[in-house]
Amino acid sequence: MRTLNFKEALNEALHQEMTSDSRVIVLGEDVARMGGDFGVTMGLLDKFGRDRVRDTPLSEAAIIGAANGAAFCGLRPVAEIMFADFITECYDQLVNNSAKARYMFNGQVMAPIVVRTSSGAGFRAAYHHSQNIEAWFLNIPGLTIVAPSTPHDAKGLLIGAIRDDNPVIFLEHKMLYGTTGEVPEEPYALPIGVAEVKRPGTDVTIVASMKQLHYALAAAERLASEEEISCEVIDLRTLKPFDKATILSSVKKTGRVVLVNEAPKTGSINAEIAAVIMEEAFRDLSAPVERVNSLDVPVGFAPVLEDYVIPGPADITMAVRKVIDY
Amino acid sequence: MAADKQTLLDYYRKMVLIRRFEETMEEHAKKGYIPGFLHLGIGQEAAQVGTMATFAPGDYVLPDHRSHGVCLMVGTPTREVMAEIFGKKTGTNGGRGGSMHVADFKRGNVGNNAIQGSTMATACGLALAAQVKKTKAVTFNFIGDGTVGRGEFHESLNLAGIWKLPIVYVLVNNGYAISTRATDAHPLADLAKMGCAYNVPGITVDGNDVEAVHAAAKEATDRARRGEGATIIELKTYRWQGHFSGDPASYRPEEEVKTWKEKCPIRRLRDTLLQRKLADMAALKAIENDVEREIQDALKFSIDSPAPTIEDALTFVYVGREVTGK
Ligand SMILES: Cc1ncc(C[n+]2csc(CCOP(=O)(O)OP(=O)(O)O)c2C)c(N)n1
Ligand SMILES: [Mg+2]
Repeated sequence: MRTLNFKEALNEALHQEMTSDSRVIVLGEDVARMGGDFGVTMGLLDKFGRDRVRDTPLSEAAIIGAANGAAFCGLRPVAEIMFADFITECYDQLVNNSAKARYMFNGQVMAPIVVRTSSGAGFRAAYHHSQNIEAWFLNIPGLTIVAPSTPHDAKGLLIGAIRDDNPVIFLEHKMLYGTTGEVPEEPYALPIGVAEVKRPGTDVTIVASMKQLHYALAAAERLASEEEISCEVIDLRTLKPFDKATILSSVKKTGRVVLVNEAPKTGSINAEIAAVIMEEAFRDLSAPVERVNSLDVPVGFAPVLEDYVIPGPADITMAVRKVIDY
Repeated sequence: MAADKQTLLDYYRKMVLIRRFEETMEEHAKKGYIPGFLHLGIGQEAAQVGTMATFAPGDYVLPDHRSHGVCLMVGTPTREVMAEIFGKKTGTNGGRGGSMHVADFKRGNVGNNAIQGSTMATACGLALAAQVKKTKAVTFNFIGDGTVGRGEFHESLNLAGIWKLPIVYVLVNNGYAISTRATDAHPLADLAKMGCAYNVPGITVDGNDVEAVHAAAKEATDRARRGEGATIIELKTYRWQGHFSGDPASYRPEEEVKTWKEKCPIRRLRDTLLQRKLADMAALKAIENDVEREIQDALKFSIDSPAPTIEDALTFVYVGREVTGK
């Protein structure tokens, strides 16, 4: 099959959805003329014109507010917030408008917007360009959070998100843009809320997403070949709502769980998944659930500061040994 | 009134210092010494030097992301600014901030926040404190043309207008916010006029003419010190490099870059000095050599300085409360 990188896969999804559905529009900073800060919206302006592909000023609240309004009128806006860290500037629009529109107006409208944003650490760009922001939104009913880890899923999930009738925050880990993988040429939508078992195993369940998924797979490979520990690795793909059934059925089999997420530990999605496992699979557990997260500190600029704070494959390996040795 | 010889020679030294500083940063970013984003101010030296010439001890300045030069102008040793950009422990922020976050509170540099527009709200507080404490402190707030789109721009100008806050808004209009032209992002060509709605007077100045910049800044600073409130000085200039070091800037025509390079603020000041017979080539060369020694000293210091350690990642998260590491 044909190979694309993560960025190209997203770009293809946008081209195809804009071609097949004239309600899809794109807006954000530098998305039109430049094709996006990371190049994801390349070529859209030339193909679809200034009406449907709009550069905006640095006005995050207006970008999301306008997306909401356009969505109320039947359009399918895909808005870009250049770095996820800037999403604070439109937090109100997302939390108090997009998320609640359908509920507060008694079902008269919906806000089918997609907010694409680059998140995650590893870019040596310090505390305002490195954050993982999903936990800031987990507590908001009405929102959906999608987080692909491969080019294949990036394309399918973006199409799925555009076609979904709910507001979707679409996280693109900035260290994944250059990663490559097989991507079908035709348009396809992957379902929201469905995880995928990336590697079957019997001893330990590892749940991860985005860049950490790749670390989890690397750790699982090493543990299998060097220590004969068989890990089942689950890619969440959707963080909210996350796929309880896939996680619980794996836990039933393994009885041991390592949850991996790049955000600071306190209040991260790992805490929520752990709570669900406690509620619904307590009797299946042979060891306490282990969490692998960032330390509860901001991401510093100097490489040593960033590397120490952000989890890597070794942290995952250690956590797996810990649940095995319990 | 034309500036005197000593003043102009001082401007010359400072502008050459900034130019050489930036060139040295770019060279070392390309060589791999400097991680992360590096936004260079080459071409904008007159805007930085002319305004900061009115900065007095006790004043505050909020630089923006393109303001290494501004950071140098408050008197922070060149070594410490450069070491920060290298991510070293000896830098102004101990290496945790990098290029975008250089701060030196004891000298009045309150630091940049990489969320554009954020400093504008902070500036209101610095100015408010000056009113409450009845000091004569003036706050210099550097922003770019793109930042005019942010909500904080409007909220802050409104506050500054009603409270007559002692702020000098240094609006560096270099024509672009990344790829987006100022003329595409804002309905007015002269952004100084944006203050009208908030009763904050503004003046548009040739930002490459250091004497004109200084004259405007002096008037604005004097007004603020007299308690008459804020002023916007819009400095029309150009950034020679891309948005960040490594950005090919293919969104702007070669011809435009060439035209602006011909308007080099340093060459312009040199011509003035020679024409008015305030200096000869030998005197200017002596200044350049002196600057070069300062740059080379700072460079050696930055390269030789130690990186932070992992313990540094855990400091300053809270006051009086420890954070645990791995
Ligand atoms: C709230 C926010 N939105 C977007 C960005 C990304 N960004 C950083 S600099 C920049 C352009 C700023 O343009 P301008 O204010 O004109 O300053 P210049 O870069 O030209 O010096 C953008 C969009 C950001 N840092 N913060
Ligand atoms: Mg600009």
